[in-house]
Amino acid sequence: MQEEIDLSGKLKRNGGGRAAKTPGKTMRAGPLERRLGMWGWGFTALGTFLILMFVFYPMVQALILSFQTGRGANLRFAGTANYARIFTDDILWKALGNTFIYLIIQVPVMILLALVISTLLNDRKLRFRGLFRVAIFLPCVTSLVSYSLIMKSIFSNDGLFNQILMGLHLIDSPILWTTDAFWARALIILSITWRWTGYNMIFYLSGLQNIDPSIYEAADIDGANAWHKFWHITVPMLRPIILFTTITSTIGTLQLFDEVMNITQGGPANATITISQYIYNLCFKYSPNFGYAAAVAFIVVLIILALSFLQLRIGGDRRDA
Amino acid sequence: MKKSGWLRRLCAGLLCASMAACCSSCADDDRGGTGNGSAPTSGTLTVWAWDDNFNVRAARAAADAYQRANPDATVQVVSMAQDDIVAKLNTAFSAGNYKGLPDIVLIEDYRIQSYLQSYPGELADLSDVTDPQAFMDYKLKVMTDTDGRICGVPFDSGVCALFYRTDYIEQAGYTREDMNDLTWEKYIEIGRAVREKTGHAMLTLDPNDLSQIRMMMQSAGAWYVGDDGQTVTIRDNTALREAILLYKQMIDAGIATQVSGWDPFVKAFQDGAVATVPTGCWIAPSISQAADQSGKWAVAPLPRMGNVADATHYTNLGGCAWYVVAHSPNAALAKDFLSKTFASDGALLNQLAADIGLVSTLKSVSTMSNYSAGVEFYGGQAIFQDFARWTEQIPPVNYGQFTYDIEEVMTGTVQSVVNGADLDAALDSAQTQAEAIIVG
Repeated sequence: MQEEIDLSGKLKRNGGGRAAKTPGKTMRAGPLERRLGMWGWGFTALGTFLILMFVFYPMVQALILSFQTGRGANLRFAGTANYARIFTDDILWKALGNTFIYLIIQVPVMILLALVISTLLNDRKLRFRGLFRVAIFLPCVTSLVSYSLIMKSIFSNDGLFNQILMGLHLIDSPILWTTDAFWARALIILSITWRWTGYNMIFYLSGLQNIDPSIYEAADIDGANAWHKFWHITVPMLRPIILFTTITSTIGTLQLFDEVMNITQGGPANATITISQYIYNLCFKYSPNFGYAAAVAFIVVLIILALSFLQLRIGGDRRDA
Repeated sequence: MKKSGWLRRLCAGLLCASMAACCSSCADDDRGGTGNGSAPTSGTLTVWAWDDNFNVRAARAAADAYQRANPDATVQVVSMAQDDIVAKLNTAFSAGNYKGLPDIVLIEDYRIQSYLQSYPGELADLSDVTDPQAFMDYKLKVMTDTDGRICGVPFDSGVCALFYRTDYIEQAGYTREDMNDLTWEKYIEIGRAVREKTGHAMLTLDPNDLSQIRMMMQSAGAWYVGDDGQTVTIRDNTALREAILLYKQMIDAGIATQVSGWDPFVKAFQDGAVATVPTGCWIAPSISQAADQSGKWAVAPLPRMGNVADATHYTNLGGCAWYVVAHSPNAALAKDFLSKTFASDGALLNQLAADIGLVSTLKSVSTMSNYSAGVEFYGGQAIFQDFARWTEQIPPVNYGQFTYDIEEVMTGTVQSVVNGADLDAALDSAQTQAEAIIVG
């Protein structure tokens, strides 16, 4: 990173130097540069226009909408009433609480699991390495809805998982995976971990390819064991990738929707509802309240911004922050 | 020469324009509903409905009947998940873009007020199609807007009944006579005996879905909101209080199996895991799908809440009706279709009773042949006659537009009470939450 900056700085300086050396040509180069500049603007104009139209304009509209209240088409301005309601809305707080439970438990577990699995699978001496890699990555190519439905059927009260446990006499009565608050949350965490661990593993595997084997050889000579090598070489070398996967996983968890919608519908009694699902419900399940839904969506934006900033501060290089 | 050519073209243009104007005003007349004899009988209609075994089949049967009488008309029935219909209507109505919307759409009774009030004028006034004398009162109340206009054509009855396994009940030491005129208190007592003698649960309960409590509440003419559909009536609602207490007693007595969602609910009774299914009459086709249980089932009126003075055996769960999208270019044809099928065609509705187990809300159908016929699966009991009789006695309530909003609050409330929280405090907090929802 530092090198790149130096390089570009040097290039700039060189460019400036060249321009300074040929003062006679600046008169003619001016319009040319301007023309080239216009071409440049021309090329970026389409992209800029599309982003303005389809990203920034809706964002501004959503912000305006978040200050309006009313059902369906009967919208009227209500100042900050929607934002005030957020503080007294028990269901929203429950959704926030659930989302943070998923975040605090699931993201670290998944990151650690992905790290360990990728380290194991990076071992050159391991047999059937490709097979294991495929097996662990395969969940990522299944559709969110179909895997959720399969999870739901396996973990239903009289589903396969309970039947196996009962058959082995490990439990007396079925675990109420979908109707008990604790187990329903556990099931959601289990499901998203199964689905996303392989995805993160791929990033770590590619990161591990870039670590020079001679570092490990040197560590071997110094008598380091596997744990030392993992903790003092692999993890620090992968730090930027760990940071990246943590941020994307955090954002993904804050936007969690498909799994909860399909496995538990947010139940039992809102024990697994997430913020995204609540926003959907506000628009489509309940009497449509788009203004309040937009206000809740902006709260999510604020939370994601704050968390990403925090993670960059804690995990990132000082240069990045 | 040149000038006259130009003039001729102008005259021709004016003539065309005036003809077009005349045509469009005719269409307006039809849309207003006064067009008699001039209603169009050709064109293509699109109908959206969910549930391939029930609503969609009914719409297809109606489409066939209409197309036979009007060979120039085509009616296309599109099967779509209810959630998708809801989302599409919401987005199209709020954007004011009607491209891709159907002409006729099926909407659930609990949701219709939300559409009528959130998007005024988007669904057509069907007062001239639906004859208020011909349909059951409770059903009409659901689709009447704040100005007293009837905006839909009533479809199925959601009258509730107690479906029960005669063999399990007899093993538990009770007779068919015991099952008629039950109270919920007695029901729980029988449930204990069933659990003891047969090892089976009495019923399934879904912590996500308070239909059990909604059924009990409406049986006493009460709802989450008052008759205006706006005033929250959770705090001092005797029927709701009692319903929650009974719900808790059922769980505490261990007579209920917890399920989540539709499929486990259906699987429970089809596998013979529960002795009774207290729910809407639309469940009958799903129960009789388990052909090996033929003759083992019977139908009784729903139990009544013993401690509530106004409580009856009659209540409703779910149900839906047909609506016309007001901005549809085929609105007039759509009205004609509905008026000749679901709004009046007794023979069609009678046939649907036999084919899909439809219990109609059209009063005249209850005396027709398929209603008085015994159903073999239910031991020859004339269940449709019972359903029709009970439908007439359902206490009308105004569901308002916030049923699902408030239900989300109530699932948490009920769950906390089941886990031992104080009922009064829980209802108090639910009242505050629900009021905040209605204001917001």
